[in-house]
Amino acid sequence: MSDPTLILRVRNLTARIATRKEEIHAVRGISFDIAAGEAVGFVGESGCGKSVTARAIMRLAPEGTSIALGGSVDFMGQDLLQLDEKAMRDLRGRRIAMVFQDPMTSLNPVMTIGSQIDDIVRRHTELRGRAIRQRTVELLNLVGIPNPERRADNHPHQFSGGMRQRVLIAIAISCDPDLLIADEPTTALDVTVQAQILRLLMRLREERGMSLMLITHDFGVVAGMVERVNVMYRGEIVESGSVERVFAEPAHEYTRALLHAVPRLDTAGRVL
Amino acid sequence: MIRVVLTRFAWTLVILLGVSFVAFMLMRALPGDFAIAAAGSQSVSPEVLDAIRRDLGLDRPLLEQYFLWLGHALTGDLGRSFVTKQPVLSELPARFVVTFQLTLIAAIIAMTMGIATGLASARMRGRTDWFVRIYNGLILAVPNFVVATLIVLLAGLYFPQLSIFNYTPFLSDPIANLGSLLLPAFSLALAVSVTISENTRAAVLEISSQDFVMVARAKGLLPRTVLRNYLVRNALTPIITVTGLQVASLLGGSILVETIFAIPGMGQYLFDSINSRDYPVIQAIVVLAASVVILVNMLVDIAYARVDARVKA
Ligand SMILES: Nc1ncnc2c1ncn2[C@@H]1O[C@H](COP(=O)(O)OP(=O)(O)OP(=O)(O)O)[C@@H](O)[C@H]1O
Ligand SMILES: [Mg+2]
Repeated sequence: MSDPTLILRVRNLTARIATRKEEIHAVRGISFDIAAGEAVGFVGESGCGKSVTARAIMRLAPEGTSIALGGSVDFMGQDLLQLDEKAMRDLRGRRIAMVFQDPMTSLNPVMTIGSQIDDIVRRHTELRGRAIRQRTVELLNLVGIPNPERRADNHPHQFSGGMRQRVLIAIAISCDPDLLIADEPTTALDVTVQAQILRLLMRLREERGMSLMLITHDFGVVAGMVERVNVMYRGEIVESGSVERVFAEPAHEYTRALLHAVPRLDTAGRVL
Repeated sequence: MIRVVLTRFAWTLVILLGVSFVAFMLMRALPGDFAIAAAGSQSVSPEVLDAIRRDLGLDRPLLEQYFLWLGHALTGDLGRSFVTKQPVLSELPARFVVTFQLTLIAAIIAMTMGIATGLASARMRGRTDWFVRIYNGLILAVPNFVVATLIVLLAGLYFPQLSIFNYTPFLSDPIANLGSLLLPAFSLALAVSVTISENTRAAVLEISSQDFVMVARAKGLLPRTVLRNYLVRNALTPIITVTGLQVASLLGGSILVETIFAIPGMGQYLFDSINSRDYPVIQAIVVLAASVVILVNMLVDIAYARVDARVKA
């Protein structure tokens, strides 16, 4: 890679989803960079291809669908689209981790919280035996779960939505990834909890120097969180730049429409 | 907790009472009775038939007969067989053990085959899925007794050394006993395994598209870990349910299979007793079978709570 500070360099990425009826061209040749330690926002309306982009980087297709990917995803000098599945598995969760939208359905209901963190720690680290659980408890503590030793033995149904999202963040950061992809991590949560989760993500990113790819359909979420933002529309990036610039003088018509559609965070409080 | 147990126990008693009453009345609704069956084709004078009936108490009003039976049953006396004149309880336990063995082996075969084919079908899709589903459809379409008869015929034709009609008791030779039960258990298990297979397939497919499976894959977990801890453990609840429900049909099927394979179990005993209208024996077997089904359902509930922490008590 030419620029050593770049961690992710995506060029001309395309994703076609083949369903039984049709072929959906969900991502139509997008290019973007993420630098080491940088937080980049991806904003766009529902269905514009944000999640498909995120999963394309992780090479994860939803069960029962096949997705044809094109272009290149250069992650620290390796083109992820060329890796075999085994190499990709070694990388998932360890170098690139992901937090999903709905914490209520993202945890396995029949496993304890602790064992769902244990398994990724066991998979990607040298820790064994009691050391694994120690690490799990540390992680739960880090994301702000009180009484982590005891709570590790709880099942997901004993946790609130916000707490579950904290657990999922603990899972994501468990192996110190270089890149964290957060796909609408707060969409399913209450407004007050949203702010807590966003603060947690920011804190962890700063402490660990991870890069963050923050996906949202809400400009308000992106505002205080990221340096740069990419605006997506119908599978393409229609505008990108620093948050200040895009907010102050949106170049693309669609961005302007988006900005108008979303109440700004600072005025939202007053409306309530 | 104690309340829950007591309520369940009370319900069990109510159900058993109901079952015994319905069975009692249904038996008497069958054409003919023991006296006629015992007389067979011989022409016996009505006076003799009446004497037999009086002797066995069959001449009294039905309800009186039922409550007489119930009174004795509650003190642990299930009466004597009309045919052998021996206490029902002297023959039934040995018969029950044989059927218990047969259904246990059948249940193990059915679960193994059903879960394995269901999993393969859901995970590999494509041609495996086609094959399993066509096979399942075929087995479901063909009645149990046809399969059992075919197995008897084929085994007799091609493997005469497999002495299928030689039932060996467990205590005299456990290995031979297992050998003599394997084919009958297999034919008993086939239909049930298909039901388990179809349910496993549906459950695994449903769970595959859940978010937590995507999360598990995003963790980089090995496919076998995802399969074991995320897919199968969640599919287990519906699988346990169908298996529990199928125990009743295994017991029902054992009547047929034991009769075809000449296995001296409870099913064959019931078949013979129905033919000879041996009411006390039929009554005892029906109540015993109902108890077993109820017991298995309780075990299923306990298993639920172990598999899924959300289910309590
Ligand atoms: N499994 C799938 N099968 C078929 N089509 C899909 C699938 N996943 C996504 N798509 C299609 O791909 C396009 C992009 O979807 P994507 O999930 O990336 O949108 P999104 O920007 O994440 O939207 P949202 O804000 O609602 O999450 C949509 O048109 C969607 O219908
Ligand atoms: Mg999405």
